[in-house]
Amino acid sequence: MASRRYIYLILTIVIIIPILRPFKLKPLPMKPVKNLFDYIDKIPKDKALLISVDYTPDTEAELQPMTIALLRHAFSKRIKVGILTLTLLGLGLAEDALQVVLKEFNEKAKTKEDSIVYGRDYVFLGWQTPPLVPLLGMGESITKVFPVDYYGNRTDTLPLLKEIKNYRDVGIVVSISGSAIPMWYVTYAQTTFGVKVGAGFTAVSAADYYPYLNSGQLTGLLAGMRGGAEYEELVEENFKIRGRRKATEAMSAQTTAHITIILLIILGNFIYFYKKKK
Amino acid sequence: MKVKLPLFICLIMGIMGMIAYYVPHKIVQNFDNEWRNTALRIIFAFSLVLGVGSIIRHHLEKIKRKREFWEYSYVTLISLFLTAFIGLFGGIDGKGLIKMQIGNFNFDIQTIYVNMAIPLGATMFSLLAYFMASAAFRAFRARNFEAVLLLVAAFIVMLASVPPIARLIPKLSYISEWILDVPNTAAKRGMLFGITLGVLSTSLKILLGIERGWLGGK
Amino acid sequence: MSPDIWVWIAALLTLGIFSFLYKDNPFYRFCEHLFVGITNGYAITFYWHRIIVPSLINPLSKGEKLYLLIFAFIGALYFTRFIPRLSWLVRIPIAFVIGYGAGAAIPRTIEASIIEQAKATILQRSNFTNIFTGISSIIIFFGVIATIIYFFFSTERKGVLKHLAYSGIIFIMLGFGASFGYTVMARISLLIGRLTFLLRDWLGIIK
Repeated sequence: MASRRYIYLILTIVIIIPILRPFKLKPLPMKPVKNLFDYIDKIPKDKALLISVDYTPDTEAELQPMTIALLRHAFSKRIKVGILTLTLLGLGLAEDALQVVLKEFNEKAKTKEDSIVYGRDYVFLGWQTPPLVPLLGMGESITKVFPVDYYGNRTDTLPLLKEIKNYRDVGIVVSISGSAIPMWYVTYAQTTFGVKVGAGFTAVSAADYYPYLNSGQLTGLLAGMRGGAEYEELVEENFKIRGRRKATEAMSAQTTAHITIILLIILGNFIYFYKKKK
Repeated sequence: MKVKLPLFICLIMGIMGMIAYYVPHKIVQNFDNEWRNTALRIIFAFSLVLGVGSIIRHHLEKIKRKREFWEYSYVTLISLFLTAFIGLFGGIDGKGLIKMQIGNFNFDIQTIYVNMAIPLGATMFSLLAYFMASAAFRAFRARNFEAVLLLVAAFIVMLASVPPIARLIPKLSYISEWILDVPNTAAKRGMLFGITLGVLSTSLKILLGIERGWLGGK
Repeated sequence: MSPDIWVWIAALLTLGIFSFLYKDNPFYRFCEHLFVGITNGYAITFYWHRIIVPSLINPLSKGEKLYLLIFAFIGALYFTRFIPRLSWLVRIPIAFVIGYGAGAAIPRTIEASIIEQAKATILQRSNFTNIFTGISSIIIFFGVIATIIYFFFSTERKGVLKHLAYSGIIFIMLGFGASFGYTVMARISLLIGRLTFLLRDWLGIIK
């Protein structure tokens, strides 16, 4: 019991110190992240990016930075954006991310043309259940699946949804999730309608979905906070956006924590083999 | 009737779900879309009754029988009904039938969610970091070659995940990506085939009425 | 320190959950039970406002789509779960949902998780555009077969089968090692998020 509490204390200290005194870092974007970034960057003007915010509060710290980075990317390039969730608890998180990014862009905007305007540049479709309804229904008509948006507006009155009618008008769906929801998009939306799918996963599950990346069913993959930090780096590099980079900020503490865990494993093994030898 | 009717409905619905994949004709597709957008959505929406009803019943039972920690059941029930009241009568934005605001103090459903549900949920899962660190120290032993292999792969991926080391030793990042792209992909794909075949056989058994666990008791 | 009362509420609830690290205590239990109540109340809100009202109440109140009453009746059978004499009726709406879900899933899962994955495993000319991708493709091909053979327990492992199964373990250990490495990152990330909230948003120690 006592040794457990010392370990908790050590872990807390090695995380708090770099949070208080972070060191300068520049994430190194790897291929799965670059592939997703490049694909979204080249979405034609008449197509939209669909972001599916499919995570819950327990994975907010890892996945919210991805959503924010994707929104910054899309708004910088004036890519039309549709946001939805397949998990009820993702609604509040999606709204939160939107408000953060909208504030960044609209505070700097000088005219209405520069601003990010609801209904023209983005729509927040909200949530529908069961998941099969939006997954398959959006292949026919997005407005039939979401008759009202998150805010209660009738979706058939929104200008953006007069151009973006179904998956044929979507360049890529990026599902960010702490579970297998991106695979639902691959299984249902992609096999039936051929829509491209990208994914953001918590690091816990990311390694399990590399087969889909390898087969090309996933266009790109963001894995955990590292993936979020790499995407933030690409967005800042290309668009010089100076918003708060939560994932990158966390990397200092992540570094010290990882080294601590490795040392704890080595120490644990050293003590075990020493005792065994005795 | 109590068993045969649900099994029959399950089979018919299953065939309907499959037909829509194989028959691209407009009539079939339109029917399938209409079925999903109306019937399935409404029927599924009522399933919340099962979840919420079970929680309410469980906690009322706990209070009635004064089981361990029964007093906390009041917390669950009161917070459930209060949040539901705020959401149902205040609306999504707090400006519904009853305005959820006293002066400058907002207590609409979104505010409650962001300031209470998110911190509670996120913190519960963040505890796992401590338990994982403790388990790594106490239980992770390199007893044989296979365990050493697992540890080495884990160390490489952990070190390459952090920018200072990734920039300092770029080769480590590429080795880590290779581990994920090649041996990890191979192993996970092998497991994926097995798991998928298992899930498919269970789904078929459910449709054909061989697997009846979902029917519950008598 | 933050002047916002909601930040204080969030911080106190965060500390309440963290108190479990010392030991189980009433504050932690209170927070745990509060979480269950709030999330269920949230669910009731959205199921009502975003599903029941637009899909059922609104069309019926205009006298349109009266056939929706049939589906509402089927959905209402979920309530019979709590009436012992009629509880078998709950199987009917469950049958609708499970049946359609399984039917829609089967062909699509075969396509996405079996056929496409098998296509990606099979060695083709396009895999050998350069020597590195060629070697990686051969290793993946071998690794998938070795992993599948490792999980095949119906026959005695001897000869080639024994060596292939052992190779499968090697691939599985590397895969699990990669997963463990990522899991450490995941868990630590969540903790960093909460500690950052306490230090920045609540205490204001960092900007």
